[in-house]
Amino acid sequence: MADRSILGEPTPRTLLRRVLDTADPRTPRRPRSARAGAQRALLETPSSRRLRSQTKTTARWNSRGARSSGRLAHAQASGHLEEQTPRTLLKNILLTAPESSILKPESVVKPVPAPQVVQPSRRESSRGSLELQLPEPEPPTTLGPALLAPGRRKQRLRLSVFQQGVDQELPVPQEPRGNADASSLASSLNLTFATPLQPQSVQRPGLARRPGTRRAVDVGAFLQDLRDTSLAPPNIVLEDTQPFSQPLVDRSPSVRRSLPLPSHTAAEDTERAASRRTRSSGSAPWNNSPGKPAQFLAGKAEEVNALALGFRNTSSSISGRGVEPLQDGVCEEAEKRMEEEASPELACNTPEFLQPKQLHQLLEPVPPPGPAVLSSEPLEPLSARLPPRPRATGPRPRQDPYKTGLSHYAKLFSFYAKMPMEKAALEIVEKCLDKYFRHLCDDLEAFATHAGRRTVKPEDLELLMRRQGLVTDQVSLHVLVERHLPLEYRQLLIPCAFSGNSVFPAQ
Amino acid sequence: MGLSTTVSQRKQIKRKAPRGFLKRVFKRHKPHLRLEKSGDLLVHLSCLLFVHRLAEESRTNACENKCGVINKDHVLAAAKVILKKSRG
Repeated sequence: MADRSILGEPTPRTLLRRVLDTADPRTPRRPRSARAGAQRALLETPSSRRLRSQTKTTARWNSRGARSSGRLAHAQASGHLEEQTPRTLLKNILLTAPESSILKPESVVKPVPAPQVVQPSRRESSRGSLELQLPEPEPPTTLGPALLAPGRRKQRLRLSVFQQGVDQELPVPQEPRGNADASSLASSLNLTFATPLQPQSVQRPGLARRPGTRRAVDVGAFLQDLRDTSLAPPNIVLEDTQPFSQPLVDRSPSVRRSLPLPSHTAAEDTERAASRRTRSSGSAPWNNSPGKPAQFLAGKAEEVNALALGFRNTSSSISGRGVEPLQDGVCEEAEKRMEEEASPELACNTPEFLQPKQLHQLLEPVPPPGPAVLSSEPLEPLSARLPPRPRATGPRPRQDPYKTGLSHYAKLFSFYAKMPMEKAALEIVEKCLDKYFRHLCDDLEAFATHAGRRTVKPEDLELLMRRQGLVTDQVSLHVLVERHLPLEYRQLLIPCAFSGNSVFPAQ
Repeated sequence: MGLSTTVSQRKQIKRKAPRGFLKRVFKRHKPHLRLEKSGDLLVHLSCLLFVHRLAEESRTNACENKCGVINKDHVLAAAKVILKKSRG
């Protein structure tokens, strides 16, 4: 650099130095217009050199990182950074930046003597190809008049302004310049506009949406697990499904469809038995409306078909329940087959039939009536169990709280009796209590209407108890209250004098 | 609320009055009438006394028949008498 200065050709470095030395050191808080003007003056004089130096420096900055240069640019534009003035920044750059220039193709440098209007576009283009966030020459010229809110929206403003500038400038250079240059530059510009979307996600990998880390369900493994679990505790599975028999009646076909899928893969008898078990356990308490699915005739095994037919006949002859509904819910062939094979098992809820050997014995030699007979037996208790369910839901809200209230008094009865009692006796007590309540209400109503009132007052209650013979001249109501009611209620019922000449409850 | 006074009793008797239940019962029977604030406590008291009398009567009946357990016939007979008495 010293050599060059000696040679007489002003280098960017020397120019900057001269600029820094000559320009007045002003505080950042000065009016922006003055600052902008100073900046403009600074920029305009060594414009060409500045371009180059800035290209260099910005190129270097770009290589390092965008922010510093952005900050510098902003500082230049706004000039009100607290510690970093453009001056200081430039000084830093001069100190740190290497002398060798990482200059872009000469085409960028050549149009230096071009009019100043073009220069911003040039700078933009050169820089645009490198990095989007450094429209340094732009802000000084374009932001100079419009230093509205530089502090807040540094990048955004610059970007929009930059975009505007680009839009404005782009048509101009394209005309005088060759199409190749302008188009290439423009295209590079356009391209760079698209890139920022990626870098942001790259810079913040944590914010990037991760693809769902879901593995496709291994159907085979799932079915195998099903079979294994079904094999182990058959009783429990059977028992579990019972409570859900009623509500799941409609849903069970859709649910069970998923289960018979293993049947597709299963070709062996053992597997079939296992799936049968699952199906039986699942569909044991089924109570769908009976029907004659013709689909089942398309079964694979002839035996199964015969059995199914036999089952259907027998089931329809018996009750039309259980066996058929199981078959109803299934659509696919394998499922049907499973169903049919499972039906004898299903019908017999006993665990004995869950063993495959016995199943085979049943299926092959045993004619339909055999399992059908068995099926009838467990079906009946099932049917007996199921009807009470819907009934319970109906009058529940009326019965239960009333019953619980009466049972409270029934417990007190047993407590007072001090003797063991039968359950039936308790029920009678509840009935008596119900009768007593009715009588009580009628009497109270009579007393209230006699007094010309609509509200039942404690006086009515006292009168009632007197008539009952509980309250006598010897035994007053208060005595009874004290005897039988806990303290808290006593305080509420018996007026008591308190401090401050007050009585509670007020009489 | 207060618990059972006799320690010999295994069960803990809750002495709380089911005030909501009583109010509801009264409303169901006589919707046109209103019950006062402490009125339901007295109703509860009357019920307690009724049950007490019933228990006493049933125990007497059971003892007369020399039964160790209170049967439902004892209770029925007792109920007849006591209900008549509680007519008011």
